[in-house]
Amino acid sequence: MSTSPATSTAAEVALSVRNLTTSFRTDRGIVTAVEKASFDLHRGEALGLVGESGCGKSVTSKSIMRLLPEHITRYGKDSEVMLGPDNLMGYSGRQMRDIRGNRIAMIFQEPMTALNPVFTVGWQLDEALKYHTKLGRSERKRRVIELLDMVEIPSPEKRYSEFPHQLSGGMRQRVVIAMALACEPEILIADEPTTALDVTIQAQILKLMNDLRERTGTAILLITHDLGVVAQTCDRVVVMYAGQVVEQAPVRELFHNPSHPYTRALLRSIPRSGKKERGKRLATIDGIVPSLTNMPPACRFADRCDCREDRCTAEPPHLVQLNEDRSVRCHFPVHSD
Amino acid sequence: MSDSSANDSRVLRKFLRHKPAVVASVVIAVYGVVAFVLLVVGVITLPDTLKRVGAELQPGLSSERLPEKRLLDCEWLIDRIASLSERRNPEKALAAFSDMGVRRIADVELDELLNRIDLAWESYDELADIEDVTAAAAGTLDDPDVPPPAEVRSMLTELEKRTDALLEPMTKAEKSTRWFELLLGTDRQGRSIFYRAVYSVRVAILIGLVTALLSVTIGTLAGLAAGYFGGWVDNVVTWFYSTFASIPNIVLLILLAFMFDGGHIDGPINKVTGGLLDRLIGGRLDETLIPVYIAFTATFWIGPCRVVRGETMKIKELEYIQAATVMGFGRARILLRHVLPNVTYLMLINFSLLFIGAIKSEVILSFLGLGVKKGPSWGIMISQSKSEVINSFFWQIGTATTFMFFLVLAFNVLSDALQDVLDPKHV
Repeated sequence: MSTSPATSTAAEVALSVRNLTTSFRTDRGIVTAVEKASFDLHRGEALGLVGESGCGKSVTSKSIMRLLPEHITRYGKDSEVMLGPDNLMGYSGRQMRDIRGNRIAMIFQEPMTALNPVFTVGWQLDEALKYHTKLGRSERKRRVIELLDMVEIPSPEKRYSEFPHQLSGGMRQRVVIAMALACEPEILIADEPTTALDVTIQAQILKLMNDLRERTGTAILLITHDLGVVAQTCDRVVVMYAGQVVEQAPVRELFHNPSHPYTRALLRSIPRSGKKERGKRLATIDGIVPSLTNMPPACRFADRCDCREDRCTAEPPHLVQLNEDRSVRCHFPVHSD
Repeated sequence: MSDSSANDSRVLRKFLRHKPAVVASVVIAVYGVVAFVLLVVGVITLPDTLKRVGAELQPGLSSERLPEKRLLDCEWLIDRIASLSERRNPEKALAAFSDMGVRRIADVELDELLNRIDLAWESYDELADIEDVTAAAAGTLDDPDVPPPAEVRSMLTELEKRTDALLEPMTKAEKSTRWFELLLGTDRQGRSIFYRAVYSVRVAILIGLVTALLSVTIGTLAGLAAGYFGGWVDNVVTWFYSTFASIPNIVLLILLAFMFDGGHIDGPINKVTGGLLDRLIGGRLDETLIPVYIAFTATFWIGPCRVVRGETMKIKELEYIQAATVMGFGRARILLRHVLPNVTYLMLINFSLLFIGAIKSEVILSFLGLGVKKGPSWGIMISQSKSEVINSFFWQIGTATTFMFFLVLAFNVLSDALQDVLDPKHV
């Protein structure tokens, strides 16, 4: 399932995020939602970005697309979002518009509102092609039907002239994916694409995304809080906690051998089935995520960590490279056999 | 585009299934055609509505007038013609006379005319002896000298016939014109109520159309910009509309109507723009109404602005607008192609609401003497019927309000139907 990222070189990096710091000006002062996040997205891979609510996953993705309201958002001075040789942080609004949809596309969580209710499916797909390509009208129509066919929508000619409310949730999410892939982007950012769907549809959509990734070579940045989805889809995982990247690892290694106490606790809190589990209480992580306005000065997970030591509350840990494709932000990374 | 035409036919099918809406649009179409015909073709002209067509306060739908009134009308005409025939040059004086601008003196020798006048007087005198003709014709007069009611009534008919003989017989066309003119009676000055009410359709449609179009356009653009861009744009728009909304509507209308001093604002506008106004509308939009348009638009744009702003603020946070942003579309494109179509239903509903609102406000302003300056309008008609209602003459106020009622009702039904039809989720 997973292609080994060990063979990847710098040339294959599609998107490189370096020291991304995003803060907002609010009534209570400057609030930093993401702090010095760094990760690479390789060509054709699926990278999972996981973490619980409020950890900065969505802010990270929106920072990459520069979708946050500009008048209250501040990016760090040394923040870089490198798409090939270009730093998107230095791009103007007009330059960003050429990138969006064309080289980086994005799909959202809620398929119910992700399509404009007053236009047909065909119109909306056509609009994207009209804007980004120079195709003629009949060519565009052919391409739209081709796209609908690609995302496995039955009888695409009929669906072409239907309105969003005539489609089911799963069908709508397929249309959204088709729209995102219309211009064959290098990168697809999927912000919780299956959260609002029921489990069988969820599996279908994830399978579809994986198939499409293999066929088109689009790199996927999958943002989710569902570790099951990550295990099913991703090659590598970035775990975020309270605005920081706390661990990066290939998916198999992360699941078998988590380094950060937070990752371990997260994995433990996945409900399992089986005889051995019967009657047991589900493991949870005690405490809550620290508030953005009142961050612990040292390790942000220290309060909730079950292997905390004095150093954890005194000195902030740095992201430490364990080997070529693993890194962890902890003074005392877990080493299990 | 094939998909949009499929969409259009779906909307049309739904609309045609909605029976009241179809009836309402037929009614509006009739009013619209009447307005167009009056505006461009000019079947009923302004002088037609100012002309005296009959005796004053004549009831409509050929209902019977009071015998007393009939007697007085005859007296007036006979007296008129008799005094003309006693002039130094009777032929010339009589030739210049016409009744209600249509009927001329009968084309007979002067002697014969004088003879007919005597006959008419004779018939008149018999009736004039009776103290109360109305009561006599009804048989309620308790006086042994008075002939029975049937005879009184036949005497009246005879008098009218003899009076009629003084005038040239009417042609068929004249007869039908007269029938239309008197269809709904006459007002205190003897002007045709039917003509005045029909002519007022033009004013109503003009004011409704111009005001609603201007208000909806301005309000929607301001609301879209305020809701979508936020920040200082929103502040400016909000400041304007809350300021305008805090002034009582009618006070502002009156103030503006006074400010523009009875409609002489086309002069200054033409002077500044080098006759642009004249070239654009060439008087067809009625310059005297321009202050009314301005006054109404100044207060009416607030409604659509407020709802469109709110809706835009809601829509811009929805994922399909964010999705449009991540597709790389520019802000203007998103606003006009993705947000605007989602508020068109608000525009349509506001259009028909403001259309009605403008018509009703015009009536109020005209009632106060500040609205329409030239020619009749339903407001002016209602204002004039104040004294008539006291004398239980309801033809003028009844006609004006009925004409208004059907137009307003039709627009209400239509705007209701449009809401259902344009909603893609409503099957």
